[in-house]
Amino acid sequence: MTPAPPGPAPLLALRGLTIRYGAIEALSNLDLDIHSGELVALLGANGAGKSTALRAISRLVDAAAGTVEWKGRPLAALSTEATVRLGIGHCPEGRRVLARQSVATNLELGAFLRRDTKAIQTDLDWCYSLFPRLADRRRQLAGSLSGGEQQMLAIARSLMGRPEVLMLDEPSLGLAPRLVEDLMAVLRDLHSQGLTILLVEQNALAALAIADRGVVLEAGSVRLRGSATALLSDDHLRASYLGS
Amino acid sequence: MSSGVEHLLQVLFNGLASGAVYALFALGYTLVFSVLGVINFAQGALFTLGAYFTYLLIGGAVGSNGALAGFQLPLALPFWLALLLAGAGAAGMGLLVEATAFAPLRQRRAEPLLFLISSLGAGVVIVNGVQLLMGAESYSIPAGSLGRLPAAVLIGGAQVRTVQLLLMAVAAVVLVVLTLWLEGSRLGKALQAVSEDPVTARLLGIDAGAMIRLAFALSGFLAGVAGGLVALSVSIAGPYFGIGFGLKGLGVLVLGGLGSVPGAMLGGLVVGLAEALVPAEFSGYKDGVAYGFLFLVLLLRPRGLLGKATVSKV
Repeated sequence: MTPAPPGPAPLLALRGLTIRYGAIEALSNLDLDIHSGELVALLGANGAGKSTALRAISRLVDAAAGTVEWKGRPLAALSTEATVRLGIGHCPEGRRVLARQSVATNLELGAFLRRDTKAIQTDLDWCYSLFPRLADRRRQLAGSLSGGEQQMLAIARSLMGRPEVLMLDEPSLGLAPRLVEDLMAVLRDLHSQGLTILLVEQNALAALAIADRGVVLEAGSVRLRGSATALLSDDHLRASYLGS
Repeated sequence: MSSGVEHLLQVLFNGLASGAVYALFALGYTLVFSVLGVINFAQGALFTLGAYFTYLLIGGAVGSNGALAGFQLPLALPFWLALLLAGAGAAGMGLLVEATAFAPLRQRRAEPLLFLISSLGAGVVIVNGVQLLMGAESYSIPAGSLGRLPAAVLIGGAQVRTVQLLLMAVAAVVLVVLTLWLEGSRLGKALQAVSEDPVTARLLGIDAGAMIRLAFALSGFLAGVAGGLVALSVSIAGPYFGIGFGLKGLGVLVLGGLGSVPGAMLGGLVVGLAEALVPAEFSGYKDGVAYGFLFLVLLLRPRGLLGKATVSKV
């Protein structure tokens, strides 16, 4: 275990977070701090509890035990909408774009809670420059985009909400290796611009290449945690997740 | 112009006017269905309420049978104002129906069938309440309620009652405004987002519960206004008359294609026209013809006239 990075109190603090779906314990006693400006990778196989952790932070599921705190304030009493208002952006698994709406409307709805019309326009232009292919397809229905484009749209839509922390759930899932590379480059840029990112990934190699540190979940419990460099040279991780 | 053409025009206008009512009704169902994926069976009761509210607000007196026998509001509003307020009253009742018959079931993730039963129950309670207070007798709104407007106008040799034209105009305006609002406004788009994927909508910061309440209020308003207009154009045949309209509106909704706004409109007009084509001497069989027609269309097009390819809600 590496000590938590020094500095101010964490932005997001998970303490003993335990989630049950009926009799199944999806997440057991998870402790995790996310500090401002960090890129933390939450790794593990399918069903390890990674998405569940994000769903708990966004208040889509209730905790059976433990707490989630945002800037020292417990989130347990809040609605999902309220967590978005606080600055927690959640880009869900499986490219959940609004298929029956245009690319432009999807992005517009990403800024649903914002009233700063001018800044929204600036951010829209920025998103289109980040993902030029979305700009070409802005009038198209989101459902007609390719898988990779839908993933870009889902991420851009989350960015339109100007989150303080961006949580991404398996953004590389189903993407061609080339697109995964592009995507990780974009995330690295966002991180270098100061955005705090919690990245859930099965693709541990790609995620650790850009992360500051990582946490590996197995069957709902933390198996490993440490800096990205340390994890990349860890034997267990190499054997289980990096295929070498 | 030959009398045959005149007769046909007459039939056409009659059909379009009743079709407009069905369409208004089906639009209300559509709004709730699109956000929740369930049918609000209390819609017909809200229609009844709208009709009675309108009647009371223009200064109509309660008959001798109800608990409120002889009661009369100390005001006599112009018909239009009364109609708008009646719509607002029905919208408020729509919110109450949502809070009592829908929200508790939604929190428990109940089966869609249970929503049908609980909303039907809410509707029957409302209609019974109206009967308790106002009696079972019929009421009508004086023909002079439209002020200086003529009672009827001559179009192509056919006598068209002004109220029928109003019904068509209101339905057309509602369709246009609703479509523009859904497609163009921030809230309209948010409502559509909730209808497509509530979880994603919430992750965008959209308060799904508030959008659902908005849909109920709007659909209650449409039902109330339709009720008030029918009270004027035909009469209030008693508290249960909204239930019959509600069932037909449901048929219209299915005919047009569940969840489609233009479909609801088209379905309404088609059913209205099919009914109007029934010769006067067989008018007792109008409902049979309307539902028979509905049945035939659904045999040929199970998704309705303008139904979306597949609407799957998990």
